[in-house]
Amino acid sequence: MYRALLVAQREFLENIRTKGFWLSILMMPIMLVIIGIVPVLVSSTRTEQSFTVIDESGWLLSKVQYELSLSDAVHYLKAPVEEDRRTPLDEIKPALATVEDLALTNVARELVGQAADLRGSLQMGSLSQDSLPLEVQNFFRTHRGDIGRWWQGLSPADRAELSPRISTNFFRFEEAEGRSPELLNQAVKDNELFAYFVIGPSPKENSQGFRFVSNNLTDRELLNWFNRSVTKVVRAERLTAENIDPEIAKWINTPPDFESRQIGASGEEESVESTDVVRQWAPVVFVYLLWISVLINTQMLLTNTIEEKSNKLIEVLLSSISPIVLMGGKILGIALTGLTIIGSWMLMAIVFFFFLPQLLGIELPFDITSVAIDPWFLGSFFVYFLLGYLLYAAILVGLGSVCNNLKEAQNLMLPVQLIQMLPILLMVPIGRDPNGTLAQILSYVPPLTPFVMMNRAAGPPSGFEYVTTTLLLIASIIVALWFAAKIFRIGILLTGKPPGFLQILRWLRTPVTDGAALTIQTPIRIPNAAPTLEPSDSSKL
Amino acid sequence: MSMGLEIHEVTKSFGDKLAVDRLTVSVPRGSIYGFLGPNGAGKTTTIRMVMSILFPDSGTIRLFDCEEAFASKDRLGYLPEEKGLYKKMKTKELIAYFGRLKGMPRVRANEQAVKLLERFGLGQVIDSRCDSLSKGMGQKVQIIATLLHEPDLVILDEPFSGLDPINVEVVRDIILELKRSGKTVIFSTHIMEQAEQICDYILLMNNGKKVLNGSLNDVKKTASETIYLEYEGDGSQFLHNLPGVIRINDMGKAAELSLDQHADPQKLLQQLVSQTTVRKFTINTPSLHEIFVRAIGEAD
Repeated sequence: MYRALLVAQREFLENIRTKGFWLSILMMPIMLVIIGIVPVLVSSTRTEQSFTVIDESGWLLSKVQYELSLSDAVHYLKAPVEEDRRTPLDEIKPALATVEDLALTNVARELVGQAADLRGSLQMGSLSQDSLPLEVQNFFRTHRGDIGRWWQGLSPADRAELSPRISTNFFRFEEAEGRSPELLNQAVKDNELFAYFVIGPSPKENSQGFRFVSNNLTDRELLNWFNRSVTKVVRAERLTAENIDPEIAKWINTPPDFESRQIGASGEEESVESTDVVRQWAPVVFVYLLWISVLINTQMLLTNTIEEKSNKLIEVLLSSISPIVLMGGKILGIALTGLTIIGSWMLMAIVFFFFLPQLLGIELPFDITSVAIDPWFLGSFFVYFLLGYLLYAAILVGLGSVCNNLKEAQNLMLPVQLIQMLPILLMVPIGRDPNGTLAQILSYVPPLTPFVMMNRAAGPPSGFEYVTTTLLLIASIIVALWFAAKIFRIGILLTGKPPGFLQILRWLRTPVTDGAALTIQTPIRIPNAAPTLEPSDSSKL
Repeated sequence: MSMGLEIHEVTKSFGDKLAVDRLTVSVPRGSIYGFLGPNGAGKTTTIRMVMSILFPDSGTIRLFDCEEAFASKDRLGYLPEEKGLYKKMKTKELIAYFGRLKGMPRVRANEQAVKLLERFGLGQVIDSRCDSLSKGMGQKVQIIATLLHEPDLVILDEPFSGLDPINVEVVRDIILELKRSGKTVIFSTHIMEQAEQICDYILLMNNGKKVLNGSLNDVKKTASETIYLEYEGDGSQFLHNLPGVIRINDMGKAAELSLDQHADPQKLLQQLVSQTTVRKFTINTPSLHEIFVRAIGEAD
């Protein structure tokens, strides 16, 4: 046993010196940084898109422009209230101080007065416009006109300074100045203009003559942004023309809404919070990480086994220790490597989601944090990594021992790899229905158990399922290790062509012992071999 | 005589191939024993069974008079024919690791590793990675790893293969020193000159069977004499149909002639002189090479 630990220690020390090991560890922070930073980078590096509009109706463009700047202004004024619960009131005040319109200043003061209550009543995860308290909504509804006039009175530079995130910073409007479509086409072709819109002669009646001309039709943001306001204006005009109260139109357009509720642990109905949705899908991330870690580590075991074999080290090792000790040591050593990797991942996740935000005084959305460091998820992840690793380690170390190089191993690996792909393919169907029949059945297929059960963690499966599937998995691990031992101690000394399936089956029938208790043993038993004569042979099966 | 190793009636087969066939041999303690034979003779299989890497189908292997082979594993040192190192490990670490696998305590294994590396003139590569070593250095490192735990029986499978003449001498000196310090050494080789120089005993195997066995002197005595001849001219003209000569090893300007039991060297010399210019004519006990070739030829 002590020598198995020596083998494990050497294996561990060698692995942690490899680049692959450090890359695996770094994968986590790199992923976290990418997830955190890339969206910000993408939006901050967005280039300004210039556009122009040919308005054949003669009236729509100016209304749309007013509508666009109104929504920017509203967005600007709301932002402190809406976006960041922790912005002190003082930060809203200077923004409002730039409002010169006296009437508006008064309402703004009122808004500041309400902001204190507002912040308290704002729920997390509820960032949509409708979730603002009624008073705020009313405020903006009543003062739309004032806000719009004030905003239009500001210079573009002032606007950009007031709020770096307003849409006019991304979409720059140029006057068409009577340019013909041909000239504009040329400008688009020469990349002087990102796109131009043509508004048809009778927008109220139909969309005839409406066009959006650009060389980049995959970027729909400008089109969507402009179209939203056009729709709003045209819809309002139509309502006025038909003498329909906008409130009634709004009411007609409001679809019936089902509130999602689930049965909680107490048997009572509970409303579904956004955390629950994240919880439902978070296991998918864990399954993916689990899958990667099992794959990396078992592959490492396979490579190391083959390397040892092709380096002709096996004989020296076997002159000191039995093949079973060697195999056990290798599996253990790489398990330690893997546990170090996922241990450091967990540590980093906790630092990233828990300590770092505290240290920097920023607050991450509560639901992500709670899921990322949920002890149940982390615990299952840890246990299922170990079990999944052991099962695949047994299979791969057996395979690796009969191969002389990686190429041979890849041929033998094919069926195993097919099974290894399944958890990824099953991730979404199982995540959608974690306690469905498919999920329940697959939980009892040992090579899939760790992944499927991790996938179902949000369900969660019943305690009975946890116990039975784990017992079944552990039993398969023991059987697999047993078979692996039988194959390993013969295969590891083989050179030349890897044995066929039938030959391996024959090895499986020969008994395995530690070897320490034996003087005579028959690794390859030929049919009708003479019985061994040694008296101390009684320990043999 | 106290025995280091006793192999008794050991048989080993792989599938339907008989690798070792009822082999019996005794290796006295403190001797240098050469396991000789052509490729595929069963030398390595025999050695692997002694090392408990393989196990015999039948027969017994006893080490140090009484102990069972497996239990004595830690008293053995083994240098396999195909030699490899962990490329990424430092030489000192690697040697100490193999020592610890043989049951040495960590501190002693480290100390011994440094001591032996320095003694073998590898002091400058103690902290180098194994893949930076030259072939000769690598082989020395492997030999050190074999000897670190001071084994009582050292088995070296083809220890000279791939070494330059200087390193051959180094390894030979190691083997002789092991003998002086009372260790038993078994080594296999197919280079007869080396075996002849250092072996006390030899075992000659072919097709899994023992062909010749005994002390080097005894083995040589049983073989008949040979003539060493240096000549001028074309040997193929006159080196055939010589009286009493059963085998000729013609090297171009010299030849080794094996005589049958009753041949008369004087008559042979007369005939040779009548046909060519003889520059040198020596009557020898046969070289091990000659004995080897003759024995294998007879066995086949």
